[in-house]
Parts: sequence; structure tokens; C-alpha cells
Amino acid sequence: MFSHEMKEKIKQFAKEQAPYYLEEAEMTYMEKLRRRTGETKSKLMAKLAKFKSRSETAMEAENDMILYMSDYMKDLMEQGLSEQEAFERAKEELKFRSETTKSADLQERIVAHYHHMDIADYEAVGLFYGAFVFLGISIGALVGFIGSGGWEMFLSGGWIRTLIGAIVGFLIGTGLGLLSNAIIVLKRKK
Amino acid sequence: MDNLSEMLKGILEGIVLEIISRGEIYGYEITKKLHALGFQGIAEATVYALLLRLEKNKLVHITKKPSDMGPPRKFYTLNERGFEELAAFWAKWDFLSERIHLLRTNGGENNV
Repeated sequence: MFSHEMKEKIKQFAKEQAPYYLEEAEMTYMEKLRRRTGETKSKLMAKLAKFKSRSETAMEAENDMILYMSDYMKDLMEQGLSEQEAFERAKEELKFRSETTKSADLQERIVAHYHHMDIADYEAVGLFYGAFVFLGISIGALVGFIGSGGWEMFLSGGWIRTLIGAIVGFLIGTGLGLLSNAIIVLKRKK
Repeated sequence: MDNLSEMLKGILEGIVLEIISRGEIYGYEITKKLHALGFQGIAEATVYALLLRLEKNKLVHITKKPSDMGPPRKFYTLNERGFEELAAFWAKWDFLSERIHLLRTNGGENNV
């Protein structure tokens, strides 16, 4: 019925699109399981992957789509459309559109992120920032104060060096705070 | 009738289960049946996705037969679980339609 080239096009389309539908169907199934067991989707998917052959399931979904699309195209051609027109129409109709899978995945990733984020990490990051900034300002101001000539020179222009020292200290403190934040993030990632 | 898709979302599975319960049928044949029943607005992709879901949820029995397109064609019949699901669907439908009918006829008075 279809040309060889068209058969290849249908196969290619099915290969691209069927996995999305399969994923959505599995999601629905997984949702039910997840509700029952209270586990996250990723954990369940990992468990399931051990027990079944993904490639066989995917191949079946692909074959189902090839046949379904071919039947639909035959129907359209009987209504007067050319082979190419029928393919374009079928392609448009059968293209996967659902956003539910993607948005659910995103939501799950956000939940997982906050689930795994320890409140102690936040506290540590805040304390590091605070400590480094205080230390930076104190040391900077002290170095500026002493370097400008101490109390005698402070009132007659030396205060500017103390101020510069404090600002530089503040910047160094913030920089060290950022560094400690990065170290915590990297440690948590491991 | 146009613009039925939103209302059909919740009941399409029941409709398709009922169609399958009437005898062995393949994927696109179900779509054609739906169109013949007047459900023209249902997207072709919806039925394909629904069939994958029915299979995943183990509501159908599948028989594969050779096809002229190469891969074997799947023919669906309901299994025991599918029939149970269908019975549950009709029970819900009866409840819903009765309530809606009451609402429409007397505004739901005396039936709280």
C-alpha cells in the first residue's frame, strides 16, 4: 500500500514518538504504585527497570504506533488525500503533546532537591558568611588604623585608611563566604 | 457534537472498555467505532495513548496476529480485571447521571 520510502518515514516517526507515549503510560501506572507505596517515581522506576526488558516494551509500543498510523493514513487516503498529505496529517495528529510528564518530572526534581537539602547546610553557609565578613572588616579596619599611624593620625586624615581597610576586609570576608558556600555545595553533591 | 473533549476526558476509558467488551478489536478500529458513535472530536493520539495505558494497567488481553505492514497487529479483549473496571465505570456513571438528572429536573431539591 505505501511506498518503501513512506514506510521508512512512518517507522522513523514511530521510533521518535512512541517512547513519549510509553513514558506517559508508565507514569500513570507508576503514579498508582507510588500512591500505594509512598515512594518517589525515580526509586520505583529504578526498581522496575531491574525486572523488565525496556527494549521489548519500547519495540512493541513502536510497532503499535506504526500500525495505528498506517491504518489512519489508509483511512485518510480513502477520503482522497495523497500519501504525503495523509502522512503529514497523521504526523500532526499523533505527535506527542502532553506536558504532564515534563511538569511532573520538574516538580519531582524540585521536591527531591528540597527533600535532600539539609537545614544544617543553610545554617553553616549563613554562619560562614557572617564570620568571614566580621573577621574581614575587623582585620581590615585594624590594619588600616594601625598602618595610618594609630589614634593620633586617625582624626587628621588617617580615618580614610581605616575605612578603606574595613571595605577591603568586607570584600575579602564576602569572598571567603562564597568559597565556603561552594565547598559545602560540592561536598553535598558527592 | 463539538467541544466534547474536555467532558470526555474522564469517561473515555470507560467508553473504550465498553467497545472492547463487545468483542475482539484492534487499535484503529476502536477509533473508527468512536467516530461512528459520533465522537468525532477525539484525537487519534488519545486512543493510541489510552490503549497503551489499558495494557500497562493489565485490563486487556492481547492476541497478536500477522499484518501486511510488517509488525504483528494487536487485538484486544477484556480480561477479568478489565470487566471489573468496566462494571465500576458503569456504576459511577449511573450514580452521576442520576444525580445530574435530578439536578436538571428539580434542581436537586429533596435529594441532599
